[in-house]
Amino acid sequence: MHRWRTASRGDHASITMAERSGKPALSPRALIAAGFGAGFWAFAALAVAAGTACYVILGGDAFAEALGDDMALLAATLPRIVIALGIAGLVWVLLPRDRLSALIGLKSGWSGLAVAAAAGIVTPGGPASAFSLLAVLAGAGADRGALVTYITAWSMLGLQRILVWDVPFMGVEFTAIRFLISLPLVILAGLIARRLPLELRLADAYRPPEDPRS
Amino acid sequence: MSLGVVLFAGIYAALAAVALVRRDDTFPQAVRRTAEQLVILAPRVVCALIAAGFIAKLIPGEVIGRFLGDAAGGTAILVAFVLGMIVPAGPVVAFAIAAVFARAGASTPALVTFVTSWSVLAAHRIVIYEVPLLGFSFLRLRLLASLVLPLLAGAIAIAALALTDAQ
Repeated sequence: MHRWRTASRGDHASITMAERSGKPALSPRALIAAGFGAGFWAFAALAVAAGTACYVILGGDAFAEALGDDMALLAATLPRIVIALGIAGLVWVLLPRDRLSALIGLKSGWSGLAVAAAAGIVTPGGPASAFSLLAVLAGAGADRGALVTYITAWSMLGLQRILVWDVPFMGVEFTAIRFLISLPLVILAGLIARRLPLELRLADAYRPPEDPRS
Repeated sequence: MSLGVVLFAGIYAALAAVALVRRDDTFPQAVRRTAEQLVILAPRVVCALIAAGFIAKLIPGEVIGRFLGDAAGGTAILVAFVLGMIVPAGPVVAFAIAAVFARAGASTPALVTFVTSWSVLAAHRIVIYEVPLLGFSFLRLRLLASLVLPLLAGAIAIAALALTDAQ
C-alpha cells in the first residue's frame, strides 16, 4: 500500500480513497475466519440441503451421479480460479489506481468514453476499489458519460470478473462472446447518460448521502 | 489442458516476469494478495458449486429449457433479464446459478443476458457502495442509461449466433 503514498502527486483525496479501497492486511487467523465466515456457512448449508433433497427425492443413484459431476467440475474449475486469482493479484500491485483516475479526468467526447471503458475493464479488485475510484472521478468533475461508462465497464467487463468468474465457470467461448457484445454497450451507456435530461447531484464521498429532494 | 488454462498460465507468467524484474516487493505483495483472496473465496466456491450441481439435478431440465432454452427465443431473454436483476449477491452466487442454467440447457443469449443483467443491477453493490459514495441521483442516471443493456446484449447474441449458424 505504501507505494501509492510515495507515488502521490499531491492529490490527497485520491490517495486516501485508494488506500481505503485496499483491504487491510489480515492476520492468518483472521483470514481463515473470513474464509469460513457467514457466507461460507450459508453456502455449506445450501449444499447440504440441496444434497439431502436430491437424495430423498431422486434417490441414491442420482445423488451419487450429481456428486461425481460436482467433483469433476470442481477439479476443472479450482485450478483455473487459482491461476486467475494469481493474475488478479499481480494486476492489483502492478496497476496504480491513482494514475487510472488521472487518465479518465483528462479526456472528453468519444475518446473520453473509450478511456473510461478501458479504465473500468482494467481496474483491479472488487466493488470497494471501483466505487471509491468512481467517487474520486466524480469529485474531480469527470463528465457523467465517462462516470457511467467507467462503472458499467467495470461491472460488466472487469478483468477480475472475467478471469476469476466468467472463464472458469462459463468457458472461454462464452466469455469471448459476452466480452465482444458488451464492449460497444458500455460506450452506449455513457452516450445515453450524456443525453438524459437529469440533474446530477453527487453525494459527498465522505458523508452519508442526502436525499436530493430534501 | 484446456485452452483457458494455457491462456491463463501464459498471462500469469508474463505478469509475474514484469513484477520480478522490478526486484522489489511487488511480486511477494501480489502473492500475498492472491493467497488472501484464495483463502476467502475457495471455501465458498467449493460449497456453491456442489450446491449448484445438486440444484441442477433437482430442477427438471424441461423447465429451464422451456423458459431459458433456444426454443424460448425472445422470452428467454426477458426471463433471464428479470432473473439477473433479482440476484442480490456477489459473483459466487451469480455464476453458480449461471453454471446451473448452462448445464440445464439454457441458451447462450439467455446466459449472456442473465450475467449482464446481474452485472448492471447487483442490488447489494447499490446499497453498500453506490448510494453511500455517489448518491441517489447518480444511481438514477446510471440505471436509466444502462437498464436496456442486458436486453440489447441478449438480442445481439441471438443475432450473432444466428449469423454464425447460417454460415
